[in-house]
Amino acid sequence: MIPLNWVVGLGAALFAIGAVGVMVRKNPLIMFMAAEMMWNAAALVFVAYARSFHAMSGQVMAFIIIGTAAAEVGIGLAIIVSVFHHRHRLDIDEVSQLRG
Amino acid sequence: MIAFIVLAIVALAGALGVIVARQPVHSALFLIVNIISLAVFYILLSAEFLAAAQVIVYAGAIMVLFLFVVTLLTAGKDDHEPSEHLAGQRGTAGVLAVVSGGGLAVLGVVFPSKKVPLGLPHNFGNLHGMGQMLWGPDFIYLAAVALMLLTAAVGVLVLNRPQTKSRPEVRLEERES
Repeated sequence: MIPLNWVVGLGAALFAIGAVGVMVRKNPLIMFMAAEMMWNAAALVFVAYARSFHAMSGQVMAFIIIGTAAAEVGIGLAIIVSVFHHRHRLDIDEVSQLRG
Repeated sequence: MIAFIVLAIVALAGALGVIVARQPVHSALFLIVNIISLAVFYILLSAEFLAAAQVIVYAGAIMVLFLFVVTLLTAGKDDHEPSEHLAGQRGTAGVLAVVSGGGLAVLGVVFPSKKVPLGLPHNFGNLHGMGQMLWGPDFIYLAAVALMLLTAAVGVLVLNRPQTKSRPEVRLEERES
């Protein structure tokens, strides 16, 4: 049996690494993958608490996180591709101003 | 405990590889390592259905989509990181994220939650238990996710709308040829 508090600590560490990736990298694709990692860390903590409290609600939340991530990836990659078609550069600062 | 340590090292190495790798393709492959180690974690935490869903949806569908877009956008380019405009943003962001994440991790490790002594229910974590929750008390979440996925599909179609002006010319050329 895995101790719960270490799993929660691992989730926090993964979340922090994802946050560093979002704030430090400038390639929008890599930023997006780091954001996916942050979703995953939250889902891991949900599953760990579901195991600890013997309640399925946490697993339902993790399932919904997976569904949300699928929708988010579709929209986000569509935005990245359409920005790339306009600017031809993979740099997040290309969209720092809301102009067409 | 040994399984936890090995899996945690693999997951952290994959996570660090995502944000350190220079090429987006390498980031995507490291993210697959991270996702699969988390799926093994789900099995250890007796969430078998979620482990299968994680592998199928994340490592299957989402990462294939990522790899398609990465190869579409960065094929044959020497992809170096663009220079930073805001001075000191990277250092400040790194320090803030490490302090807050480290604080969260220390709090999570130091203060364990209370033990639950009961045995697991027979349908804990498998498809049966999940379906009972999703089609019973948590049906509103399932409906919300369905609505959100539909909105995402329509949104992708609207975002990548084909250019309406050039469309008839293309059709005429196709008919002539």
